Amino acid sequence: MSATPRGEEREVKNIGGASIDGAPVAYIVVLAAVVTALAFIPFSVVMASGGSFPMNQGIFGLIGWVLGPIAGAVSSGIGALIGVFVAPHTAGVWFVTVIGAIVTSFAAGVMGTKNEKRKSWWIGVVVVTVIAFAIYVGRALLVNGIRLQWAILATFVNWSSLLLFILPTRNLVAKWIGSKNLVLVAVGLALGTWISFGIAHTVQNAFTYTMFNWPEEIWVMLSSVIPIEFISRCAIGAVIGTGVIVGLRAIGLVKPTEAIY
Amino acid sequence: MSDIIACLENVSYQYPRSIEPVLSEINLSIQKGEFFGLIGPTGAGKTTFCCALNGIVPQFYGGRFFGKIEIAGLDTLEHPISVLAKHVGQVFEDPETQLIATSVENEIAFALENLKVPREEIIRRIPRVLEMVRLEGTEKKHPAELSGGQKQRLAIAAALAAQPDLLILDEPTSQLDPVGADEVFSTVSELNKELGMTILMCSHASEEMAEYATRIGLLSNGSLLSVGTPEEIYADIPLLINNNLRVPQVASTFYSIKQKNIPVSIPVRLEEGKKVLTELITKKTQLTTPDLKDELVHKEGQPLIQIKDLEHTYPDGTKALHGVSLDIHTGEYLLVIGQNGAGKSTLVKHFLNLLKPTSGTVVINGIDSKKLTVSALAANIGYIAQNPDNQIFNMTVWDEVSFALKNLKFSKQEIETRTEESLKSMGLYEYKDRHPLSLPKGDRARVVIAAILAMEPDTIIFDEPTTGQDFRGAHYILDISRKLHEMGKTVVVITHHLYLMPDYAERVIVMGKGTILLDAPIRQAYFDTEKLNSTYLTPPQAVLLSIKLSELTGEAYCLLTPAELASVFTTNGGAA
Repeated sequence: MSATPRGEEREVKNIGGASIDGAPVAYIVVLAAVVTALAFIPFSVVMASGGSFPMNQGIFGLIGWVLGPIAGAVSSGIGALIGVFVAPHTAGVWFVTVIGAIVTSFAAGVMGTKNEKRKSWWIGVVVVTVIAFAIYVGRALLVNGIRLQWAILATFVNWSSLLLFILPTRNLVAKWIGSKNLVLVAVGLALGTWISFGIAHTVQNAFTYTMFNWPEEIWVMLSSVIPIEFISRCAIGAVIGTGVIVGLRAIGLVKPTEAIY
Repeated sequence: MSDIIACLENVSYQYPRSIEPVLSEINLSIQKGEFFGLIGPTGAGKTTFCCALNGIVPQFYGGRFFGKIEIAGLDTLEHPISVLAKHVGQVFEDPETQLIATSVENEIAFALENLKVPREEIIRRIPRVLEMVRLEGTEKKHPAELSGGQKQRLAIAAALAAQPDLLILDEPTSQLDPVGADEVFSTVSELNKELGMTILMCSHASEEMAEYATRIGLLSNGSLLSVGTPEEIYADIPLLINNNLRVPQVASTFYSIKQKNIPVSIPVRLEEGKKVLTELITKKTQLTTPDLKDELVHKEGQPLIQIKDLEHTYPDGTKALHGVSLDIHTGEYLLVIGQNGAGKSTLVKHFLNLLKPTSGTVVINGIDSKKLTVSALAANIGYIAQNPDNQIFNMTVWDEVSFALKNLKFSKQEIETRTEESLKSMGLYEYKDRHPLSLPKGDRARVVIAAILAMEPDTIIFDEPTTGQDFRGAHYILDISRKLHEMGKTVVVITHHLYLMPDYAERVIVMGKGTILLDAPIRQAYFDTEKLNSTYLTPPQAVLLSIKLSELTGEAYCLLTPAELASVFTTNGGAA
């Protein structure tokens, strides 16, 4: 302000408004509805569990960056759960789908947190992901006798995501998403979607592989299919996310406490 | 203190990421039972002011807040919006954006359910508030079935149902035709006078505000410049002009007369104006014959647009046009007026093939429109629709304006030149990188106009271009339309704001119930009060005063504007 106002400056807070972890419930509901709506749109013909994956998988990360880890996980989880019922053609294994939504948004929300109390939450995500990776790949190598080369290739998205999450790229992605440069925002969203969904994919596969134990022939095929699917998720995240973030910044609605855009 | 419903002390507010305050050092008390009018140009901070009274600013928007606002004794920063909502009801500009239920009664019940009002009490309140806004019998109707005025009254009813101490109405009539606006003003006035409800209304409708408000506040650049009675505010013409606000025509007329050293008071309401006019004539003030320009030149040759026996019936069976025949020649400036639902927009949409005739013909440049595609027509006829938001979909103002040019395969250089010129002509160049939806509604309308102008069409149709614009914004757009007309382009304007048009339009089409009631030069059309009234239009105050002058003197004065009316009065022989 050019001149100091005479009135006393007041602390601005949202009193009594319904919110979860600093994100207005209205935002959570709206984004959950978007997740459900995008559940109707199949985006691939192949998936490890035998179905198609829904377009909403491209925005779970975005929801984490917009709402924060807890509200984002709640919103994505509710949206994905409703999506399982109303769009069963993209649902796959229902609880795995919901877990994937929750973990992606949570991991994304943790990536760029400015909340000092949450600076170490990423370690928890890493621990869970490492355990899930051990169950998934360990079972493949030790129980089902999958050759190492195919295990490494088919899990490229999983270990690359984990590495990028552990390295400073975690914070770099968050910095880019918060940048004024829209190219950096888009790149950040794409890379962040790779990382956050890669984390969730690892957790999901700990369940689905235990259930389906797909043979080595499938691992061979997945080594090329999964990265392509991931690229399409990243494209969805970047395209939709850039538009959403530009709009949110322009309209200037109150930002959820944990938002990083 | 108990008589004060709203008290603002040194209130300043700054939106997040904004450099300048949108409200600055506001001190004001609103008494119980007042009808407080808040006026100011677009961007003055009126909507922010309204939202500050129910805590939405700053609780929802964030930002920096200074000072204190108390509503019914409650500090708006220390009480949740849900608590403040019990004391403050708010009705927004566009009724379409606030009606969400599938029936009228559900609409009213919605807020009450959220306030945990018991079911029996909700059932008791619904008929009561419907009666207050004269919507009895519509309980089971879908809100979409209501007219514009009825929708806005339903929004008022929904706000009233919570029994607020203060009812805020932010530009509630800007989307409505004169009859709809009158319905809203008279309803609000009744609530104020008969139930003692405190009203805060923002509006550009200066004639109505002068008529109904008990006190007026003038907000400019976030500061409350002046507070006074309507007589004090609306008679201070320099203050209004300096702040780009519209002066009631009656005040403007007598101010111009007074400038000629003819001693006269400045009334702000029509009936008072008629009395002052009578006094002037009684005192034998000297009158001259006005030097009137214009009169329509009949164009010869093949019409640009030729409509014959046009009928249009919508899929739901609504007959919108009945045997309309009309010729429009190149270079005409045509004004189309009539009540909501008269068929104005339906008619002009046929020019672009956006609607197909049920029967009859539409011939554009000698070719039956059935043989032309929408895209071929759109290259020559620009249509600026009523609601700018329906035409906006790009991320930046620049992208919005250049979008059509890119699709029409213009060169990069040409796109840049035309986009820049178009944005500059509409005063939007400084906003070129902004998201269009982040701009005020008046500016959003100008973005759409800029996008059309960039295509340089031969014919431009403006469908309610001045809705939501302040006085300066409205004239800004109409001045553009006049420039285009002077360049030889054909201009068609649809509007309810008759007072704006005398300086622009030549020919007027008066429509009612899907037919053309009158096709005449503007001077003739504005004085055919019978035809105007039959389609629920009211002539501007200057016209009504001219009719009064004619009655008083026995001579015909067909004067359209305050300036024309004032020009009749001469200094010589002025009243003592």
